[in-house]
Amino acid sequence: MTPSLSRRFGRSVVTLTLFATVAFLIAPIVLTVVASFATSWTGVLPSGFVTFENWRAVLGLADTIGSQRSMGWSPLFSLPLGGETLSVLVPAELAFSIGLALGGVLINLVVGVPIAYAVSRYEFPGKEWVNAVSVLPLVPGVILGVAFLRAYPDLSATSFGLIVGYSLLKAPFMVMAVQSEFESMPLRQLEESARSLGASWPRAFLTVIVPNARSGIVSGAIICWALAAAEFNFSYIVWAKGTQPLALFLQRHISNSSFTKAAAAVSMFFFIIVAVTLLLQRVGRRGFDTRGS
Amino acid sequence: MSDRHAENSPLSTLRALTARVVGAFETVANPVTEREREYRRIVALCAPFSVLLLVAGLYPLSEVVRISVSTAQYESVGFSLDAYATLFGDPYYRRVAFNSLWLTTGTTLVSVGLAVPIAHALEKYDLPGEDLLVTLVSFPISLPGIVAAFMILVLFGNNGVVTAVAAALTGSRPTDLAFAVSVPGLFVAFVYSMVPRATLILRGTYAEVDSAAEEAAQALGATPFETFRHVTLPQIRPGITGALILTFRTGLAIFGTLVVIQTLVVWTLQLSRELGVGYDVQVAGAMATVYFAFTFLFTVLGLRYTSAEVGI
Repeated sequence: MTPSLSRRFGRSVVTLTLFATVAFLIAPIVLTVVASFATSWTGVLPSGFVTFENWRAVLGLADTIGSQRSMGWSPLFSLPLGGETLSVLVPAELAFSIGLALGGVLINLVVGVPIAYAVSRYEFPGKEWVNAVSVLPLVPGVILGVAFLRAYPDLSATSFGLIVGYSLLKAPFMVMAVQSEFESMPLRQLEESARSLGASWPRAFLTVIVPNARSGIVSGAIICWALAAAEFNFSYIVWAKGTQPLALFLQRHISNSSFTKAAAAVSMFFFIIVAVTLLLQRVGRRGFDTRGS
Repeated sequence: MSDRHAENSPLSTLRALTARVVGAFETVANPVTEREREYRRIVALCAPFSVLLLVAGLYPLSEVVRISVSTAQYESVGFSLDAYATLFGDPYYRRVAFNSLWLTTGTTLVSVGLAVPIAHALEKYDLPGEDLLVTLVSFPISLPGIVAAFMILVLFGNNGVVTAVAAALTGSRPTDLAFAVSVPGLFVAFVYSMVPRATLILRGTYAEVDSAAEEAAQALGATPFETFRHVTLPQIRPGITGALILTFRTGLAIFGTLVVIQTLVVWTLQLSRELGVGYDVQVAGAMATVYFAFTFLFTVLGLRYTSAEVGI
């Protein structure tokens, strides 16, 4: 009897699909980082290593042609020193996005953790729908942007408008991360033991349940932060003037700058995401994974 | 409800409904039994999310619906279906809708089609460096569409690596081979964004598959393909349906990629154009309304009439 086709080739074909897809996803990322240190990329591979010119231009540390696209530097705070003022400068777009994303994460913590607990801990009519509404994005960023422009014309382009928009768009990721943590915990026992020892229900929730779900909450916060810092669609529609969010900064480089400079801008973003991924793994998750495995 | 004669009149039904709603509020405000206290907790736990959903989601969306039927450009007054008449009557918008649907359907099928073997290999095979592979496959989830488009330029653009290698092998000019800024390039860019998400969902499904049944099938002489077809597939089918629904939603929402690779006008791109030159806010509102109604309906129907599992 000859062995079947799937016995002979099945495993290799499936494994090959995996490795080919990983190569397709990762190769351009590696090439981009390499190209960001190159002088030019006109042949098969980038050439003229190693230069930091692209990075300097993108980060706004060098005056070059097209430097209006570079990162702006603005004072974060100023220290009066003797007769002079010492200003601490920070990269404007980066600091702006970091701040906006942090604001979004704060809102996500307040709205996401309680609803995740309600769905994981209690049985109630309509629970499935509450779950679906909290883990499915309501509308994409473009639609929400248009809606914000209509509903809050004065507020939508402000930092506050951006923060609220980000928090709604990224809330599902927080809910999922926290929910998967809650589902691995003996919630009923925890709550009941705390209450039998005399804690009120709010106290049991805040001082026993929440601290125990720490790792899920932290990883949810990091995921939401990274996704909010990278949010393009919503920002593109509502942003009007002033400092641009990071994603718009990336877009103006991708659309206008030379290939190696755009590579430096995108690489800067990759490094942020890698840092976030490493942080996540310290917290005990594998990459951008919101499901407990 | 106790008045049997008036039971069917609309007024008494309304009164009974009001009484029930008021009763529910009273229960939440002054719970007596433990069950009622539990309801109060559930309401309190869901309240912050509901406020955000209302203020940042539902109210803005209702404004969009109102402007879409407005007779004036800048304020919501009167009632007119002109914008919808334009949307459904003008062949241009029909083509935009068609572009969105076929592109998203095609890329969804390809992405989920790739995600099944990827999740299978990651969950069933003992591969060296599996944790690293999982991290690498998940990494692009955090990349916005503009960066996904840039990745496609790096591979298949005029200066792209694959383009350059193909040009060197065949002896033709790179510009003839580059396809990043074309409809196939856009297709590949969509797949780039969608494969990692589909994989994430399917890995969750695979984690719950009962491997004892698979081993039994293998021991009874089933080939690997027969085992997959008759034992694994029935178990992961809800996950696959869920992945199809969610990946389709992801694909429809893609916008940043199209800002970089503007070769095909789809719904989201056209929507942003309505806000630009020529500013037609009613049509933009109508497009947003139709989009929301469409995704809402197919998600509800999908979850209602299939056994789809929704995880992300």
